[in-house]
Amino acid sequence: MIRIVVSLTALSVFSSRALAAGGEGSPNPFSGDVGNAIWTLVIFGFVLIVLGKFAWGPILGALQKREDFIRDSLEKAKNDREEAEARLKEYSDKIETARSEATAIVEEGRRDVEVVKRQIEEDAKKEADAIIDRAKREVGLATDTAVKELYDLSARIATEVASRIIRKELSPKEHERLISESIEELAKEISRN
Amino acid sequence: MTLSSSLILASGSSPLDHVIQHPLVTKPMDLGFPLTPNGEITIFSDHIVMLITAGLILMLIVPALVRKRQGKDEIGQMVPTGFANFFEAICQYLRKEVAEPALQEHTDRFIKYIWSVFFFVLTINILGLLPIPAISALFGTHLGGAATGNIFVTATLALLTMLMMVVNGLRLGGKHYLAHFCPGPIALAPLLIPVELIGLVAKIFALAVRLFANMMAGHVLLAVLVSFILTAGTSMGTVGGLAVAVPVVIGSVAINLLEIFVAFLQAFIFTFLTTLFIGMSVVFHHDEHHEEAHAH
Repeated sequence: MIRIVVSLTALSVFSSRALAAGGEGSPNPFSGDVGNAIWTLVIFGFVLIVLGKFAWGPILGALQKREDFIRDSLEKAKNDREEAEARLKEYSDKIETARSEATAIVEEGRRDVEVVKRQIEEDAKKEADAIIDRAKREVGLATDTAVKELYDLSARIATEVASRIIRKELSPKEHERLISESIEELAKEISRN
Repeated sequence: MTLSSSLILASGSSPLDHVIQHPLVTKPMDLGFPLTPNGEITIFSDHIVMLITAGLILMLIVPALVRKRQGKDEIGQMVPTGFANFFEAICQYLRKEVAEPALQEHTDRFIKYIWSVFFFVLTINILGLLPIPAISALFGTHLGGAATGNIFVTATLALLTMLMMVVNGLRLGGKHYLAHFCPGPIALAPLLIPVELIGLVAKIFALAVRLFANMMAGHVLLAVLVSFILTAGTSMGTVGGLAVAVPVVIGSVAINLLEIFVAFLQAFIFTFLTTLFIGMSVVFHHDEHHEEAHAH
């Protein structure tokens, strides 16, 4: 703005000086005529046509092509990324499923093992109980047999003692001796068995 | 003729001499005030040379730049290389950041025009910064100068913008576009339509004058600065002239750097406003939303 004001002031000073000097032909800043306009139209028209065909067309084409290419590339990249994410999610899900399946399988195995273990323990316990019962039964049988044999022996000894007493008249002293001998014998017999 | 005397001759009596058009071939013709103010039509001039040069440079260099690709394969074809990167970056910036917000779905329909306007104005602006007038003066002729410092050139480009606005507004918008000219109740039409028409013309007028005034002003300023050296040289002798020359040259370099920036800036502003104006003529979504909002 200042530039224009300074210039125009200078211009008016010089123009007035030129006018004062009686310059009929003092320069007019609006010099020119329709000839300039025609030339401008013609040259600008040529520039417009020639550049439109050989410059602006190719440039615009290249710019549009590049824009499309960039947009397509970005869209493709976006689609690829989305697809990759979807694939990743799919695989993650698959891995997750596999993991839970594996856990379930292990859990089931553990459960089966527990059952088998319990079964084995129960069987073992049952067998042990049966063995013990049988042993007890056998012990009882043996005891019964022993007692029965003891009775038989006692009876036999008593019979023998009685027969001896009957065969000999016994003095009371011998009586006692015979009884204690029989008892000793009985005791020996028991300890032998 | 010595170098200094030819420079003095070249400097002329007014700094405007460096900026205005110097006709080389003219033909008497009277088409009235705005078309032929001097009663003659310029067939060839320094500004026309610059216009042709700018056109040739664009038509030769830009298609060659476009072909600079990294490879022949599909990917390589999409990758620019070397200076084409810079060029394509500007094109893509104009397309995405300037055109697309204003033109929306119509962007690629108008982008060729928008790119052409930007690079045409930019090339003319930059060619105008080359010291061709000072060099050509040594050979007794006047070439060079900024063609965008010519109101007829900028007005033609601005009128093309108006043509694009109106024709495409009618073609793509139809009655929506015509409805723009009466935004209020129909009873106010006699008042609103002239105001809107004035608005349209004012936009185009401002577009033409903005580019013209900016390019003209910068060049006048440079010419004024340089003329200080010659003025000081003639009135205060060689030593005085040299003493003034040092700050003037430093200042001129600074202003020239500013002018490079202004060349880009004004080309951008012209393109930006052209895009905006065309967008206002062909994009109607905003109005539809407003109508819907009102209906609710």
